[in-house]
Amino acid sequence: MSTFRIIAGREMWLALRNRSILISGLIFAVWLPVMSALGIAAGAGEEVTILAGSIAAVTLPVGVFMGYIFCADAFLREKRDGTIETLLCAPVSLRRLWEGKAAGVAVPAYLMTLFSAAVTVAAVSTLSGTPIAAEPLLLLHLVVVVPVWIAAAAGLIGAAQLALGMRENQILGFVFIFGFIFLIVGLQQVAPGGPGLSWTTEALLAAAGAALLALARVIAGKVTKERIVRTIP
Amino acid sequence: MNAVEVRGLSRSFDGREILRDVSFTVGHGEIFGYLGPNGAGKTTTIRILLGLLAPGAGEVRVLGRDLAADDEARARIGVLFENNGLADRMSADGNLAYYAGLYGVEDPAERIDELLALVGLADRRDDPVGTFSTGMKRKLGIARAILHRPEVVFLDEPSSGLDPGAQRMVRDLIIELSRREEMTVFLNSHHLDEVQRVCSTVAILAGGRIRAFDSVENLTAASGRPAVTVSLADPGDRARACETAGRLPYVTGCDVNGDHLHCTLADPGATPDLVAALVGAGFRIEEVRRSSRSLEEIYLEHVGRAEGEA
Ligand SMILES: Nc1ncnc2c1ncn2[C@@H]1O[C@H](COP(=O)(O)OP(=O)(O)O)[C@@H](O)[C@H]1O
Ligand SMILES: [Mg+2]
Repeated sequence: MSTFRIIAGREMWLALRNRSILISGLIFAVWLPVMSALGIAAGAGEEVTILAGSIAAVTLPVGVFMGYIFCADAFLREKRDGTIETLLCAPVSLRRLWEGKAAGVAVPAYLMTLFSAAVTVAAVSTLSGTPIAAEPLLLLHLVVVVPVWIAAAAGLIGAAQLALGMRENQILGFVFIFGFIFLIVGLQQVAPGGPGLSWTTEALLAAAGAALLALARVIAGKVTKERIVRTIP
Repeated sequence: MNAVEVRGLSRSFDGREILRDVSFTVGHGEIFGYLGPNGAGKTTTIRILLGLLAPGAGEVRVLGRDLAADDEARARIGVLFENNGLADRMSADGNLAYYAGLYGVEDPAERIDELLALVGLADRRDDPVGTFSTGMKRKLGIARAILHRPEVVFLDEPSSGLDPGAQRMVRDLIIELSRREEMTVFLNSHHLDEVQRVCSTVAILAGGRIRAFDSVENLTAASGRPAVTVSLADPGDRARACETAGRLPYVTGCDVNGDHLHCTLADPGATPDLVAALVGAGFRIEEVRRSSRSLEEIYLEHVGRAEGEA
């Protein structure tokens, strides 16, 4: 088995057994969709594409948040406990370690986000009285755009957690979450084609997600072992 | 080629020089003790050797390689830092299996069984490591460090925080490993008794510099003049016996040291004469020992001198 799969596999194993993170994730996965479904159902009428667009808009912040909470185990805990130092001595490059961990964060975060999206669809369908099932663009959003954004969020937050000290990390967690949310909301505002789900919005979001993922790779490439070891508390 | 080579190594943190022109070598198969007080720079040296920190100046090699640049060469190296490098929520078995995968260990199940038995954790293999005592975690940490049969293993204060029983177990394990698996062991420690029992060679680091670098035998033997320690059956006789011994021509000095006499001799062959003279004068002798200096005395002397300089 490749070291990438070994590293990612362990992070997934740990994530799916971390009860406190799973519980906060599940609460968030249900609470946010239900809250937003109330607003969506009240404001959007019965137009299916508009309802689907509102659902799509909710899934991205949920995904980014899920990426953030799973990073706490894969990156931040390993830094706080100092066990990252032992891992850095393994015959694996730092890039491979980062990729494996980011993937191990992104997969459970994605599963949680899909669950949350299912809850949102069910809640909006029920509250609006308009069944929203297989909207092709919504499916495309969930299968392509959402995972790219989650991978970018996991990669960026993970790289930052490796590179920063504990106190900076506490502050930066919030900065990242709000930064991502502003970015998502901003992109949805500037996207042409109005509030509904459209090809242009999806293309813009997908491109922005891919750019963020590339940025995460560049930033992760600049993090050194010296930097990581010297910021272990 | 040596297993570990350090040449002219210096390193500062935030303008404070921690290591100054440090040089030493560790031969293959040796158990090397790297001694120094807290904050001397022992962990920093290991981190530089492992490629985690960059050297400020100088050069380091492990098995002839620069481990910072050579990802593959690290497969031949094992390391145990003070935190053991284990995930608390994973089982003992799961932790070892993870590292076996990362290091590409062949027949991992068999090797894991062997090591869990060696460190006495076979019956706890499925329990989460978070439920282990400090000593059990350390033993598992050692098993993890040597899982892939490294040629060189770095142990950073492996017995710190352990009770005497566990310390002994760690000590025996180190000796056993170096013998059975022919590993070179680089042992960071300020536990002098442990080092004296386990290590073949030591370096003493204090005030940023190497103060001594030699075999334990040479260091402890080189006490200058030969000396003996004499214990009397009746401790009340100590002062008079000391006077008697002090008048002998081949005794260059004698003091009462605790409940025994400490005599320095002009000639190492004079011990039987000294014993005969004391017995002849009516003293009853319980024990006579040739005294060499302990590693502790030598260590304290070097560290004290380094502190004097600072
Ligand atoms: N990341 C770091 N940043 C600044 N100073 C450090 C860092 N790591 C170690 N030091 C300092 O370097 C010195 C040596 O530390 P260390 O190598 O851990 O000593 P030892 O292992 O011998 O106890 C100490 O004074 C310590 O405070
Ligand atoms: Mg140390």
